[in-house]
This record gives sequence, C-alpha cells and structure tokens, in this order.
Amino acid sequence: MLQATELTKAYNGAIALNKLNLTVNSGEIFCLLGANGAGKTTTINLFLNFVSPTGGQAQVNGIDVSKEPLEAKRHIAYIPETVMLYPSLSGLENLKFFTTLALGHKRPEHELLELLAQAGLVEDAAFKRVSGYSKGMRQKVGIAIAIAKNAKALLLDEPTSGLDPQAANEFSKLLDRLKAEGVAILMATHDLFLAKQVGTRVGIMQRGNLVSTMATDDLGHADLERLYLDIAYGYSKEAG
Amino acid sequence: MNTAANVISTIARKELLEQLRDARFWWAGGIILVLMLTALLLGWQQMQLVDKEHAEARAVAYQQWLDQGDKNPHQAAHFGQYAFKPMSPLAFVDPGIDRFVGSTVWMEAHKQNEFNFRPARDATSLQRFGELTMTFVLQTLVPLVIVLLSFSAFTGERESGTLRQLLSIGVKPSQLLAGKSLAIATAIGALLLPMALLGFVALGFAENQHAGMANLYKRGAWLVLGYAIYLTGFIALALGVSAASSSSRKALIMLLAFWVVNGFIAPRAMTDLARLICPTPTKVEFQNGINEARKASFGHDETHPAFVAFRDEVLKQYKVARIEDLPISFRGLSLRKGDENGYRIYDEHYGALWNTYARQERIRAITGFAFPLAALRPFSMGLAGTDTFHQNRFATAAELYRRQLQTAMSEDLIQHHKNGDNNYVSNRELWEKIPALAHQIPEAETAIAEQSLNLGILLMWMLTTIGFAVTAARRLRP
Repeated sequence: MLQATELTKAYNGAIALNKLNLTVNSGEIFCLLGANGAGKTTTINLFLNFVSPTGGQAQVNGIDVSKEPLEAKRHIAYIPETVMLYPSLSGLENLKFFTTLALGHKRPEHELLELLAQAGLVEDAAFKRVSGYSKGMRQKVGIAIAIAKNAKALLLDEPTSGLDPQAANEFSKLLDRLKAEGVAILMATHDLFLAKQVGTRVGIMQRGNLVSTMATDDLGHADLERLYLDIAYGYSKEAG
Repeated sequence: MNTAANVISTIARKELLEQLRDARFWWAGGIILVLMLTALLLGWQQMQLVDKEHAEARAVAYQQWLDQGDKNPHQAAHFGQYAFKPMSPLAFVDPGIDRFVGSTVWMEAHKQNEFNFRPARDATSLQRFGELTMTFVLQTLVPLVIVLLSFSAFTGERESGTLRQLLSIGVKPSQLLAGKSLAIATAIGALLLPMALLGFVALGFAENQHAGMANLYKRGAWLVLGYAIYLTGFIALALGVSAASSSSRKALIMLLAFWVVNGFIAPRAMTDLARLICPTPTKVEFQNGINEARKASFGHDETHPAFVAFRDEVLKQYKVARIEDLPISFRGLSLRKGDENGYRIYDEHYGALWNTYARQERIRAITGFAFPLAALRPFSMGLAGTDTFHQNRFATAAELYRRQLQTAMSEDLIQHHKNGDNNYVSNRELWEKIPALAHQIPEAETAIAEQSLNLGILLMWMLTTIGFAVTAARRLRP
C-alpha cells in the first residue's frame, strides 16, 4: 500500500533521507524510530508530496505521489505532530470543514459527532471554539479528521505527543481497530512503548538511513529499548 | 465538477464564517459603511446645490439677455451671455475635475473666453486636504480593506500549520484560491452592492434636464463594472502576494507598498512626468499666443492693413467706389469677417491646448497596466461625465453658441443697418430669436467609447493579477 523505492531527499547537498526502501502492507503498522533529524518526518513529507524527492519514488496504492499528488492523497490520511485547526471555529465545524474537503461531500452531523467521540473528545467540547482547546483536544480532532476520510493508508507523525495516558491508550486501541480493517499505517514516533504495543514492524533510522528493521513479535520491550539506545548512542557519539 | 464546486463553496463559507467571527471585520466594515453613506449624502447635496444654482443663474442670465433693451446688435454681442455647465447627476459619485476647472464662461463678442469659477479656489484648507467622496472610498479605502482581509490568507494558514492539513487531504491550491477569492468578493460585495443599489435609486430622483434616465443608468452600470474589475484585480493581487510570500509580514509590507504607490505616488509622479513630456503653456503664455495671432486680423482697428484690404475687396466685389454706396451694411460684413478670422485662431490654439491635455491623459493612463488607479480614475470621471472630455464638449457647445450668436448679430447688421447710420438699434424681437443654450450630456455610448482604452487597460491588469494569483497558488508549499 505504502511503498518507498530508493527514496532519497537532499537539502542543498545535505542528505536527509538516503535510498529508503520500505513497504507497508494493508493491515500493517510500521513504526519509524529514531532521534530528531534521523529522517522520519522527511519520509512522511515525501509520501505527502510536501517536498519533492531528489531520487527514487514514493508510491501510495501503486500511485507515484510526485506524479499524481492529488490522486495519491485520496488514499492517505495524515495526523501531524501538532494538529492545527481554525481557532475561531468549533471542533465540530473544523471536522466538518476538513471532512467535506477530503470527501467532496458532507457527512451528517451525528456521524461526525460519533467520530469525535471515537477519537476521545467529550461531546461538550465539540461545540466549543478550538481557540480554547488543549493540544490533546486538537490532536483528537485531528484523529477524527483522519478516520473520517476512510483512507487506505495512514501517515502519523508523533501522533500521541500531547495526549494524556488515557487518550494515548484509546488511540492505540483505535490503531488496532484500523489495522484490523486493513489500513496500512506508517508512524513516526519516539514512543517505544507505543511502537512495541501496536507496531507490526519497527524500523530504526539514523541520519537518513533505515539501519534496522524487525518484527515486534520477535523482540521484547527491553530488547527494543536497548537496540534503539545503541543506535541513538552511536549517532550522538559520531555527531559529537 | 460538482465536487469541485462543493469544495470551493465549503472553503468560501469557512472563510466567511471566520471573518464574521472576527470583530475587526465588523469594525472595518462599519467604518467603510459610515464613510460611504456620508460621502454619498455629501456628494448628493453638493450636486443638487450646484445644479440648482446653475439652473437659477442660467435663467437669470438669459433673462438679462432678453431684457437688455434696444441697442445696436453689436453692442448686444458685446453684452453677451453667460453659459453654466450642466451638472452631471453622477457627480455625486465622482465629482471629477469639476472642482478644479471652471463651470462658467462669458460668451462675448470676438473672444473665446476661458472658464471661470473654480470651487477649489474658494475651498477652505480643510477641503483642500481632501474631500470625502465616494470615489475616494472606492478607489483608495476599499482596496486597503481588501489588503487587510487578504494579506494573511495563505501565509497565515502556513504559519498556523493549517495549510499542511489542507494540502494533506488533497485540496487543490487553485480551489483554495477560488474559495478564498469568493469569500472576500462576497464580503466586499455585501458592503458595496447595497450602496450601488442606493445610488441607482437616488439617481431616479435626480431631476436633471441635461441627461436622459437611460443615459444615466447606463453610465451607472458601467461605473459598477469598472469598479468591479478594479476591486477584483485587487483581491487577486492580494491573494497572489499572500500565496507567494514566505511570511504574513512580508505580504503585508508588499501590499501596502503597492497600495501607496497605486493610490498616492504613481498618480502624482505620472502627472509630473506627463507635464514634462507634454508641457502645457501657462495661462499668460496661452493668452499671449492668442493675442499675438490676433494681431494678424483687424478687430475694431480700421487702419489695419487687413481691414483696408478687406474693404477694397468688398468694394471691388460690389463694383462701387465708396462704402456708402454698398447695398448692405459694411460694418456688419467687417464684424462677421473679423469674427471668422478669430474662429480659426481660437480653434487652432484651443485645439492645440486640448490635444496636449489629451496626450498627458494618455501618458498617465499607461501606468494603469501596473497601477490600475491610473486607468480607473479617468474611466470613473468619464462615465460620471465629470472629466476633461465632457468639459471640452461643453466648452465646444458654448463656443458654437457664441459663434451663432455673433453671426446672428452681424447678419442683422448686414441686412438692416444702413451704411453711415450710427443710430441703428435692434430690439427684443432679435434677442428672442436666439434660444437659450441647452447642452445635453453626451450619451453613455460616447463616454464608453472615449474610455475604451482605459477599460481595456483595467481588464488587462485584472487578468494579469488573476494569472499571477493562480501561478502563485500553484507553487504553494506547506
């Protein structure tokens, strides 16, 4: 569903992502781990065609995203690290706006309220202006926007940052459900616990390279943490 | 297609909702509304006042002509008449140059006079600073409101991160542009269209003998079109700059700079440049030129060589030796001849002066490709009937009337005056043969034809800004 082939991005000669080869199939959650600047967000930006690749290609459902960006985006939903909304509109109005744009038609209000409830937003808050929302509440609206689209692929960039533990727990349950529905999910995260808990596979990135990929079933949480720190430590030693 | 329309209207509705929830929008809208109503009211009062004054003065002046008593027709020609420029009812929208050029001319014997009575000369310093007119609001303030509504349209979404969200769900930048344009156009339209409607209704109450209702409504409709083009271009430009800029601050600075140059710097600079390229003579130079040329013709000077030559020619033509033997009045003939000599001189000098003004206007209008006010301002005055073209049309009509009056007086002498009789007088019967000057404001089609270049420039500018906005939006990145 999501496929990167020799995907490369350089900014003024500095390599941000180096020949990434990666496939995320339907019903699979791939977690990208790595320090800041390792290339996780660049990977997601390339899949969204926010930046153009220097080499290689990113495909969604077999569609090259840089050649047919609009067609590709029909199959993707995206939740950024910080979901940004229109402050003078309510959470529900924001959801209605983005959903109508994504689908090209309106969805009934009760469905939208249901989506917000699934994302963990209390109903009262749905009618209040977003200017008074916490980051976690905005994040929940962002999650609702993403699931409203019924996309086949989901791109997540640190989606749980700012969520309280209960909301994070609800979020991981939601991801499990989406996985069961056959959605392909690519998630960049720092949250090793979340990665171990919901991930099908994890990949560890270092300075633009995907250094290691493994199935979560094969390793315990402690293994993952040790592995991750090894690489992160190695990264900081070289960088230092 | 249906989906695209749905997407665009969804974006437009969201933009409007955001605007309506923003107190600044209500403040700006309220202030503009109050200013427009005040400008319309003041403009209407001024137009009515001047029109009434002119109508009264016109009646008095003609009555004076009729009541001047029995006198020699040439004395009556010297007595002359006053012409008062008919007020265009649309002057309440755009008073144009009426405040700066005269509205009254003395139509006397031998001389084509210049217009007098410039209201600006009597204005207080406060008025000189700038009168509040509808055109000032529409040409200068509304574009500022558009700039303030639009400068952060794209940069703001980028800065707050909502642009990422929008582009990630596959919204086309062109749809975003269309939606935002639609929202701003709706907001501005909601503010201005009721004003236009009010103007049209008011126009129905303008009791004006100088222009037909169809003429006025047509002119009004074209004015609305011209301003719509101008303001649409401004919306496209502001959104384009916002899409192309890296920050809201930069977009605002760029747009304000454009607004200042368009509204204040370019018009003055181009006026100076036009004067430099096509200099106009000073009033004294102009009068000296005419006086110099008139020396070649004889006027009342009976020792002038041209006079002597003319007399000899007439005597030869009628095969007589003495003036007393002529079957018709030689005085009448010589006056008519003297006037005819003058017409050529005036046609030449005024023609050259007006050509210079016209060339200056064309030079100024060229700036309109970049700074559209240069094209809109003459278009607006032209359609309102308050520009140089309309002034000159009236001046021409007044001069034609003066010439007919002169010729009629000379003809009366030629036919009825006996040579050598110094006591010949005419009376009211003759004065009444000269109908009062009734000048009609040219039809709307004439004004439109006259302004077609400026309209073309405005259209070109608008299309360029739309092209720029579309290109800038296409390059939009989060």
